[in-house]
Amino acid sequence: MAFELKKGLFAIDEMRNVSIKIGKVVEEEEEWTEPMGPTPKPGILELRKWDHKLLERFEPFYAPMSDYCNLCTMGPCDLSMNKRGACGIDLKTAKARLVTIACCIGAAAHTAHARHLLDHLIEDYGEDLPIDLGGDINVEAPNIRTIIGIKPRTLGDLREALDWAEKEIVKVLHATHIGNEESFIDYESKAMHVGMADHIGMEVADIAQIVAYNLPKAEQDTPLVDTGFGIVDKSKPVIVVVGHNVMYSRPVVEYLEEQGKIDNFEIAGLCCTAHDMTRVSSKTKIFGPISYQLRVIRSGLPDVLISDEQCIRADLLEACKAVGIPLIATSDAAIRGLPDVSDWPVDKIVDALVSGKLPGVFLSDPEKVGQVAPLVAEAVFKKHGGERKYRFFETDEDLWGEINKCTQCMSCVFTCPHNLRIDQGMAHAQKTKDLSKLGYLEEQCLACGKCEQACPKNIKIINVIMASNFEKLYNKSGKTRVGRGPIQDTEVRNVGQPIVMGQIPGIIAAVGCINFPDEMQSIREILEEFLKRRYIVVTSGCHAMDIGMLKDEDGQTLFEKYPGIFDAGGLVNTGSCVSNSHISGVAMKVASIFAMRPLRGNYAEIADYILNRVGAVGFSWGPYSHKAASIATGFNRLGVPVVVGPHGAKYRRAYIGRYYKPEKWWVYDIKSRKKMNIEPAPDSLLVAVETKEEAIVQLARLALRPNDTSQGRQIKLTHYLELSQKYLGTLPDDWPLYVRSEADLPLKLKDQLLQILESDYGWKIDWDKKKILEGPIRPFDAGFNPTLVEEVYEKYAGEKPPQ
Amino acid sequence: MMAVKKEDKYPAARRYQVADIQVSREATAVKPNVVVNLVKKAKHPVLVTGGQLLKDPKLVDFAVKFHEKGVPIIATGGSSKALIERGVKPQSAVFPLHYVTQFMLDEEWQGFDGKGPYDVVLFLGFLPYYLSRMLSALKHFSKITTISLDEFYQPHAKFSFTNLTANKEMHYQMLEEVVNNL
Ligand code: SF4
Ligand code: SF4
Ligand code: SF4
Repeated sequence: MAFELKKGLFAIDEMRNVSIKIGKVVEEEEEWTEPMGPTPKPGILELRKWDHKLLERFEPFYAPMSDYCNLCTMGPCDLSMNKRGACGIDLKTAKARLVTIACCIGAAAHTAHARHLLDHLIEDYGEDLPIDLGGDINVEAPNIRTIIGIKPRTLGDLREALDWAEKEIVKVLHATHIGNEESFIDYESKAMHVGMADHIGMEVADIAQIVAYNLPKAEQDTPLVDTGFGIVDKSKPVIVVVGHNVMYSRPVVEYLEEQGKIDNFEIAGLCCTAHDMTRVSSKTKIFGPISYQLRVIRSGLPDVLISDEQCIRADLLEACKAVGIPLIATSDAAIRGLPDVSDWPVDKIVDALVSGKLPGVFLSDPEKVGQVAPLVAEAVFKKHGGERKYRFFETDEDLWGEINKCTQCMSCVFTCPHNLRIDQGMAHAQKTKDLSKLGYLEEQCLACGKCEQACPKNIKIINVIMASNFEKLYNKSGKTRVGRGPIQDTEVRNVGQPIVMGQIPGIIAAVGCINFPDEMQSIREILEEFLKRRYIVVTSGCHAMDIGMLKDEDGQTLFEKYPGIFDAGGLVNTGSCVSNSHISGVAMKVASIFAMRPLRGNYAEIADYILNRVGAVGFSWGPYSHKAASIATGFNRLGVPVVVGPHGAKYRRAYIGRYYKPEKWWVYDIKSRKKMNIEPAPDSLLVAVETKEEAIVQLARLALRPNDTSQGRQIKLTHYLELSQKYLGTLPDDWPLYVRSEADLPLKLKDQLLQILESDYGWKIDWDKKKILEGPIRPFDAGFNPTLVEEVYEKYAGEKPPQ
Repeated sequence: MMAVKKEDKYPAARRYQVADIQVSREATAVKPNVVVNLVKKAKHPVLVTGGQLLKDPKLVDFAVKFHEKGVPIIATGGSSKALIERGVKPQSAVFPLHYVTQFMLDEEWQGFDGKGPYDVVLFLGFLPYYLSRMLSALKHFSKITTISLDEFYQPHAKFSFTNLTANKEMHYQMLEEVVNNL
């Protein structure tokens, strides 16, 4: 029964002891004709079957970091060579549990961030603020539609998605308690589950901030902003923000704009807050990724530092104190032992920080942060009059004094995550007075600080390395395209067909942190190879920042050379870490907009579609954080393979298929109504490569999909074979696996390849017609309609799948 | 297995990562003649080469010599290019070490040459932290005898050269000694 209440005052007489409860107000449903799929708001069980399919094919690989477990007080336990712990767990399961925990941490980071932001925004803007992501976005929240089964219209609606994510993360975390899960495969399924939840957390956070803060709404040509160490005008007070939650830094921009003073200050950011700040105002700048924190702080450039949450150093206060930079911590995730001054008047906070009475404060009121930070920066700047106290070393003598202390003991080398040869750089400088070897290390150094802890001579190694490359570092600048958020529906419509058919050979999504194995330049080289070959390249996070700092011989960055369109040869920056949800989202949109597959509560069908048809490959050249682990695992569940750089092997777990086991590579074909063997495309979901040459070849390789048309396969194989010849010096080992008919063969190499197929692989060739008669795993069929999911087969074939 | 005498000539077996202490069974630090014996006794040995060959042509020279002595090669990391240019035909050239290791963990795998599982696997020219993870996987989940010939001592291998980082010449000499005696 529904009552209609009109506007006005109601007197309800004679009604005592009656309580009226208004539940969720159900608004008239705007047309959403999509039927609800089988798995809205899935729990641990609902998608388990899909996970097990993936894990059966892409077998988990474990590379323990430690032979022991010391998670509980019965331990430490020696689990080496598959002994069991006191709790009964074996090594594989223990490692799977650790990976699951890491994914929970990552998913919790984005989801808690989303909660914090959403609650705050609802308070400020009301829960009815409509979700409007620009004229060209009708599929506003593909992850939420697909996983939760709702179509969010307002900020308030996002809560429902977030509630689900929080619940699932807690459930999975629960399952990591001792004794709960015995099967490493089920742990992997749970890791995938939280990885998927992570994409919900990210999507909520980014949608909320886009609509409330009016960030770019899927614009193609967002402005270019300055990036790099050398970007700030040192004659102005410098405000630096670091972290991931723009909630606290945006008021600074707003306040200064209101005061008409924005041009009197420099506002620059580190890590993803920087991305999101430039989305608020392109007057702000990007110093660089997480690895620039110590570089920036020790340079003394900031007059005040604002930290929020996630990828920030755990010694931020110490580092700031050492060079006299006042710190304002803002997020309750990182209070840093500082006094909470949130209810102090602004003057008092400013005074405490400027006078140095307090080295830092915890200030959780965003508006106050907006007022305090500029006042502090101005006052601190006045104090030093533009002469910043510290620039790695006060004098050259100080620098050489440090260098001369080195005894080449190599303690630093054995501590450094990259084993950088600091000893050799120091020895070379001592002998020749030439700093170039040390300067070169700056390009590779993460500024993590481990070496300094290890050096028995207490040498300030980071400062030595930075000072040795001083000119280059200080002048480093470039351009990053402001994060644009989602991809437009029209863009998806335009490229959907060529992506699925394979004429656009693939989407390479370069995301994540900066733990690159070699010089930063390698990421530019890798991506440019694909841009030139007209793949779509999508980026976000620290990778996007680095790309913006790396120039070619003509002084141009990739963002200047390639357009910000989601199309062949385009380079799209979606934005910060939470904007990664738009990358998983666009894969879902291809399924929905191009192929008309219903998204609503229909995850397995969509993931199956993407796995078989959408040649998207994730790439994290410098994987690093737990968040990166859960983002990647979320992509994996969606059927998107991810290639990580060599440090990614330290995630301890990968998903690598064994191409030589034909029984693992099969699908149901809805057209022929047969279960059939297929080529192993892609043949891994997560793999760590060692060199940039390997990265390039693997990315091209993993873009192959069973459903490629002949033309598409021919294009993809052409790139794969060419890249393999260019970087590995030979045709790849496995190319015949991907050949279904002569039409799949790259034109230029066709005769040569047919020869090889005949002589080395025993295939039968009709040489008059240049046709393959016998040999391939399966023939090409234009109507091929593969699925791994029984229910999907049944839905479209109208009968049970064949055995 | 041959006992290894400590000789002053060789530097200490020092982990490339000081923090990598959680190792239940550490690699035996070996001299070249031990490596030679292990390879000679092996039924199906193989040398896996990594991306550091792209940076150090001397390592390429040694890999070529292994090949000339009849040790087959699996080339990863684009090291294949340098080797192919020198006339080596690697058994595999496209799979990164992560894949190769996954295949080796499968006892049913017949090897890239189809001749059955590899029993002794030598590694040359890898980023130490990357190789370390693969050696750890092989240590726990396979029976393969792994031997690291790199300049950083690898605790997760079954056998490893000691730490030769401070003395590149000694590293080369040791490799020389191995290939000469095969
Ligand atoms: S959790 Fe299990 S394996 Fe780990 S320390 Fe405790 S008893 Fe040992
Ligand atoms: S600060 Fe640089 S040189 Fe020092 S340990 Fe970290 S990465 Fe290595
Ligand atoms: S630890 Fe210190 S003294 Fe030893 S090599 Fe490194 S910089 Fe030199």
